Amino acid sequence: MQTTASHSPLHATVRQAAPARTSGRVRHYGRYLYLAINIAILVFLLAPIAVVVVFALNPTPFIQFPPVGVSLRWFEKFFASRDFMQALWFSLEVAVLTTVSATLLGASAALALARGNLPGTRLIVATMLSPLMLPAILTGLALFQTYVLLDVGRPTWGLVAGHTLVTLPYVVRTTLAVLHNFDTRLEEAAQNLGASPLRTFFEVTLPLIKPGVLAGAIFAFIVSFDQFPVSLFLVSPGNETLPVTLFNYLKFDLDGTIGAASVVSIVLAFVVVIGLDRTVGLRSYVKL
Amino acid sequence: MSASIEIAGVSKVYDGGVRAVDAVAMDIRQGEFFSLLGPSGCGKTTTLRMIAGFEIPSAGAIRVDGADITHVPAHKRDMGMVFQNYALFPHRTVAENVAFGLRMRGLDKATIATKVKAALAMVELSGLEERRPAHLSGGQQQRVALARAIVIAPRVLLCDEPLGALDKKLRQQMQFELKQLQKKLGLTLVFVTHDQEEALAMSDRIAVMNGGRVEQIGTPAEIYNQPTTRFVADFIGDTNIFRGERTTTNTMASAIDVGKDLILALPRSPDIQGTGILSVALRPEKICLSPRADAATATATATGSCAHGIVENTNFLGGAVLYRITLEGGHRVLVQQPNAGTSRLFVPGNDVTLDWTPADLVVLKD
Amino acid sequence: MMKALGSLSRRRFLTASASLGIGTIAAPYVARADDPTLRITGWGGKWGEIMKAEIGPAFESEFKCKLQIDSAFPYLPKLQASSRSAPIYDVMHTNSNEQWAAAEMGLIEPKIDPKLVPNLADVYPYAISDKIVGVSIFTSAIGLGMRTDKGYGGISSWKELWDAKYNGVRGGYVIPVNSLGQAFLMMCGTLFGKGQTDLDAAYMALEKLKPIKIVDFTGAMEKMLLSGEVGLCVIHDSGIYRYDGQNQPTDFVSPSEGVLSLEQVLTITPGSKMKELANAYVNYMLRPDVQKRLAETVWYSPANKKVKLDAKYDAKLLTTPEKVSKLIQVDWKWYNERKDEIDQRVNRIFRA
Repeated sequence: MQTTASHSPLHATVRQAAPARTSGRVRHYGRYLYLAINIAILVFLLAPIAVVVVFALNPTPFIQFPPVGVSLRWFEKFFASRDFMQALWFSLEVAVLTTVSATLLGASAALALARGNLPGTRLIVATMLSPLMLPAILTGLALFQTYVLLDVGRPTWGLVAGHTLVTLPYVVRTTLAVLHNFDTRLEEAAQNLGASPLRTFFEVTLPLIKPGVLAGAIFAFIVSFDQFPVSLFLVSPGNETLPVTLFNYLKFDLDGTIGAASVVSIVLAFVVVIGLDRTVGLRSYVKL
Repeated sequence: MSASIEIAGVSKVYDGGVRAVDAVAMDIRQGEFFSLLGPSGCGKTTTLRMIAGFEIPSAGAIRVDGADITHVPAHKRDMGMVFQNYALFPHRTVAENVAFGLRMRGLDKATIATKVKAALAMVELSGLEERRPAHLSGGQQQRVALARAIVIAPRVLLCDEPLGALDKKLRQQMQFELKQLQKKLGLTLVFVTHDQEEALAMSDRIAVMNGGRVEQIGTPAEIYNQPTTRFVADFIGDTNIFRGERTTTNTMASAIDVGKDLILALPRSPDIQGTGILSVALRPEKICLSPRADAATATATATGSCAHGIVENTNFLGGAVLYRITLEGGHRVLVQQPNAGTSRLFVPGNDVTLDWTPADLVVLKD
Repeated sequence: MMKALGSLSRRRFLTASASLGIGTIAAPYVARADDPTLRITGWGGKWGEIMKAEIGPAFESEFKCKLQIDSAFPYLPKLQASSRSAPIYDVMHTNSNEQWAAAEMGLIEPKIDPKLVPNLADVYPYAISDKIVGVSIFTSAIGLGMRTDKGYGGISSWKELWDAKYNGVRGGYVIPVNSLGQAFLMMCGTLFGKGQTDLDAAYMALEKLKPIKIVDFTGAMEKMLLSGEVGLCVIHDSGIYRYDGQNQPTDFVSPSEGVLSLEQVLTITPGSKMKELANAYVNYMLRPDVQKRLAETVWYSPANKKVKLDAKYDAKLLTTPEKVSKLIQVDWKWYNERKDEIDQRVNRIFRA
């Protein structure tokens, strides 16, 4: 812009005069631009889901556009498949266990880090968040080798431990975020009013950091439920998670069942988020 | 119910050697409205937090009704506290906030309900029981905080700059109400503030603090009229401080030469001893201002209670006018005159005469 | 909601089970906790279904053991990560190229002992040739898949794939990750050069195949052929025949130059604590009745010469010495040694 102006004095004068006349219109265009960008982002985010849904509902065993009809045959096939059902329930079980362990560990760790006055806090936080930096497939492989070395096989708790490792950072991060803005005078007020430290924690601290802990828990659930790379090495025969089963299925049968399974996953994840929101009241006082 | 508090040689040293409170001693009497006044960082809040039990003193002891509570945890001290910004529980309603302390004391539901109702009525918040703090105005939040603190019938009520966030009008109203409530309930109240007007208006006694130490403890009148240190004189209200060497003249037995051709007569007091350097304070409202009249004041000048100067600028305060005056020798002096309505107001450039009574001069410790 | 789905799934499962003929089998063997466990790998899909429902349980009840089938990829890295003395699998079932890689690392025993696996005496020579470690229990034929509704006419040669009329509907694979693609690359050397190992001729031929639609999973190629997105492609016979009876306009072509073999290979790990059971399993999988059941389920050509398939299968699969003689086996040992170099080169060809 500077160069244009210096090269062309005429241009410069026009530029100076322009804003007064066109500011209204510019703002108008700005609004459209803003809308267009938002719509583009939404389309970008939702397009894969739309493709999956079309794939799931299309009766042909391959993706066809435009779709030739609507059929629930792939959903039937999905729900009729013992492998898929077993995988779905197992994924849910692992996700729930992971959510519980990651939330308990992550929230406690965040509290200790924020309040404990520990030496080397920053280093500990960095370590806690490090599973996010490492390719998850390596985390899975490393854990697998560890379990093999320890001769414990591939137990469910081992898978949950792997998932906990990669979901912990989310809980730590979100809990630390709420703790960062936490007014410690609220805890002092509670103690001043006669609440013991333990009582203070349950009456004041926990309810107030709940939105952060819950946000972390939701992340943990979704990341675990959709987890593929860590699970790849850690699942054991007969106990495969849904993403692993889908991946294996993909190698032999690439039909709408994959789409149906994806739709079911999306719906389930959605149900869990809405459920948590409704039951524990995510929205009541979270200011995000 | 209310208790007395004795703070005996209490110090607080933080990691890194910062001495936040340094050998503070004060006796707060039962039923007294006692203010800790000072600029930020003077140690007043730390002192309050040690009384509340949020900080443990590094040295010294705190006694309530003679019993040592220095190491009693906060939740067993039975003290009410109103925090700066109120620290209301945002996830609880007004009624739940007020009920909190009662619940912790294990009272039954009916008793709690009655007490909450009475406390809210006392602070005129009846009808807002089910609101969340976020939906209240600043003044209403302040009242909830107060109700929450007094409903437990605390032995002591601690207030940490409770009115700091309110606008001026509301603040004055709350000052009045808080004072009234304190007297009505006979509460021992320790009030932390940096606002000297607030402290003067509300307190039975004030401890002025600076740099972790107590500068002076006294009634508002004592603090204002007889500041003992230069800090207190300077911090409380406007004042003129002069510093000079002890001297005598043929007309004055005891005087101070503050330079620039100004010699001030000292009050007759046995406290003033020795020669050396002294500081004295003279309140602006203790000076009388009149149009310059050389002949009449010649003698007064010689007695060290009169001077001439030119009005530099004026500051109309409504009930009074504040003048900044440059004396003939060069000293700059603040003078405040009541706005009686009929009397003449001076304008910048006016030639004026200032006179005062030597007894109004306060000799300060440095 | 989940309860409703659960009951639906049970009903559907029972219907599916009945149609698979599970009902005719004796009550499944219930393994006891102290039974020995044989750990194997195995495919998913139809293969996995029948293994879990029928073939596996029958083995368990006959040999009083528990069969633990890992059907989650990747097998080789898992085996590699586990200890040699206590491997994670006793028997590994995978394609020949991966078996060769495992053999190179000493993770599997290169040969099966005919004394311990009597059925080995009945297999076609290709199944235990020098191109195979362990034993190939089945093979597929890699040839060409075509649409029959596009008027392409009679196709008899691999070279047809290079005809310009297939521009835009030609299908191939991401060679670094797909066995069919790798085998096809070797075929290119045979077709246009001095033989399988003539990589330069193969690279030139691949260059001339463009434009070509390439996929990583074989299943994806099946779907592209079914949807008509691809008209002529490299594919294995079972990938076409599995849609038999669905009236799909697709057919498999066995080129005159021969078909490539895609072997299903079983090997035993040297550290296995279940050697006896492992050999029994290999022998079991080579039994004519087991071979017939699996072959007719997934359209794989059985390795056992004595297997008599039903006419419909017999007509299409490689079940006679003459038909088997058309199989071209790939030298995977040679290929694996050059895999990195080949990967780089073909990536360059298809990226451009």
